[in-house]
Amino acid sequence: MMHFDPVANLQLLVSGLAIGSIYALVALGFVLIYNAVGVVNFAQGEFVMFPAYIAATFALPAVAVFGGVVHWQLPLIAVYLLVIVLMVGFGLLFNRIAYYPLRDRGWLPVVISTIGVSIFLRNLVQLTWGSQPLVLPPLFPVDTIAVGALHIRPQDLAIIGVTALLIAFQYVLFERTTLGKQMRATAQDRTTARLIGIRVGRIVAITFVYSALLGTVSGLLVAPLFTVTKEMGALIALKAFAASIVGGFGSIPGAIIGGLTIGVIETFGGFYVSSAYVDAIAFVILIGVLLVRPSGLFGERVAEKA
Amino acid sequence: MNRRVLALIVLIVAVALIPAVVHSDYILTLCVTAGIYAIVVMGLGILLGFTGQMSLAQAAFFGIGAYTSGWLTTHLGWPVWPAMACAMAMSALVALAVGYPCLRLSGHYLALATIGFGIIAQLVLINWKDVTNGSDGMTGIPAPVIGPWTFEHYNSYFYIVLVAVLACAYVAWRIKTTRVGRALEAIRENEIAARATGIDATRYKIIAFVFAGAYAGLAGSLLAHTTKFLSPDSYSFDQSVVFLVMLIVGGSSSIGGAILGAVLLEFLPEVLRPLKSSYIMVYGAAVVVMIIFMPRGLVGLFESLRARWRRGAPPPLGAAAAAEAEAA
Repeated sequence: MMHFDPVANLQLLVSGLAIGSIYALVALGFVLIYNAVGVVNFAQGEFVMFPAYIAATFALPAVAVFGGVVHWQLPLIAVYLLVIVLMVGFGLLFNRIAYYPLRDRGWLPVVISTIGVSIFLRNLVQLTWGSQPLVLPPLFPVDTIAVGALHIRPQDLAIIGVTALLIAFQYVLFERTTLGKQMRATAQDRTTARLIGIRVGRIVAITFVYSALLGTVSGLLVAPLFTVTKEMGALIALKAFAASIVGGFGSIPGAIIGGLTIGVIETFGGFYVSSAYVDAIAFVILIGVLLVRPSGLFGERVAEKA
Repeated sequence: MNRRVLALIVLIVAVALIPAVVHSDYILTLCVTAGIYAIVVMGLGILLGFTGQMSLAQAAFFGIGAYTSGWLTTHLGWPVWPAMACAMAMSALVALAVGYPCLRLSGHYLALATIGFGIIAQLVLINWKDVTNGSDGMTGIPAPVIGPWTFEHYNSYFYIVLVAVLACAYVAWRIKTTRVGRALEAIRENEIAARATGIDATRYKIIAFVFAGAYAGLAGSLLAHTTKFLSPDSYSFDQSVVFLVMLIVGGSSSIGGAILGAVLLEFLPEVLRPLKSSYIMVYGAAVVVMIIFMPRGLVGLFESLRARWRRGAPPPLGAAAAAEAEAA
């Protein structure tokens, strides 16, 4: 064990919170879809990876696509807007293909179909962009800057800031707007929601779109820290899922706290314990939580609806 | 019933004659691999098809079986057969240890927790170099021996795999047609109702999970002693997905469907060579299309077509799919 260094630990805390924010955003995507339709979306990781590829294609000076090379190099803000618009369409299409035809058939067929979509997208990406990783330029520098004795990455702060803003936005959406209330009503009880005149199909579609956008934001934020590969979303999504269970599945504050917790523990674990097994830490926490407190930190008792 | 038994015997004899007729090593390799995959997929069928619980860790149990068998024979110099039994037991034990915390919860948790477990297992295979030799892989695994015969070549190994497939299919059939199978089916159809009738759902789900693990462990060991080389890449999440797709395509609650799916998808990429680089993508699309239009897989499709044939009405286009959806 090394000498305890408060500055180094504070730096670890910042990067842990940053990656934890990413997990939290993706975990929110999981939870919102689960609450709306009772199904875990296994393609959630592709909601992170796919927009990162699209963004890289528009933002980089030269990108190989289908063997050819494109040179768009649009300004980053334009790229972000373009990707967000495209991902709205993606969310609608996903709902239409992977969920809608199976909506009355229970959870297992939907889960299998989202797995199918996930495999399809990952290999589509490989076919389109090749297996060479892409590097998405960051909005803020990823090199560390000195703040007093601290060395932190501005991109980390941007991630934490954007996540905080999104959570605030979501709080207002759910608590203050009619749309948000309709989404909550649909999540609580679809039949009753339909009976009081909520267009449940439309609300579900909106939920998928919103969830795709949460993935998009996290993809655009996290891509500059790592590289854009077809695998980038899968591991983030798995850890986000672990986070949402640790927090208590179905609970929105649980997803946020769970994401931050896993991000921080993983970052410290990777530094102090083992960097080879850093990707296993989230799942060890997950299995531990399942054993000790299956309903998670914030969850109510897990009971299935009859 | 008797005609079905007869048809089955004819089929088994026909399959047993393959090595006598086919002399291509390449095709025999594919046959052996397809048989080994069929065992893994049957195991998954017990869990997913019979019980309605989802696992995406089949490749991990497959790997645990392969490495246990490989390690016991190369490091400790064990003969193949006891190593194979140990491999099966080891995978079953790990399945018990993993299933116990996960299966107390509903299906979603299991599905994703198993992915997590699969990732941990593969990381261990890569990083535990003393035992697994890491990414370099494990070499020098011996072939099985019975008396004077060594099952070195694919045309003899074929029969070991065939016997294993038949034994596994028999065990799966016994599970399906006895009290255990009915309990599993009750859990699949409605877990709350099953619990209400006094079925200990958690215990039965764990039993199914352990069987799935044991099947995968046996298959892993069979693979280790035929390829004689193990590398952690073969036990990835993608491989688990391939097993899942094989089961869905064949028909998840049918033993024949599991075997059919494994054989078909093992040979399919060879048939569709032009697709080689993108066949996993086609798998993905196939899963979505199958689950929407053919929820009971090829076996379900055959059954509904045959039912229509019996009734004498020519099946109108698309009606099979509709009948399928109804039946499911």
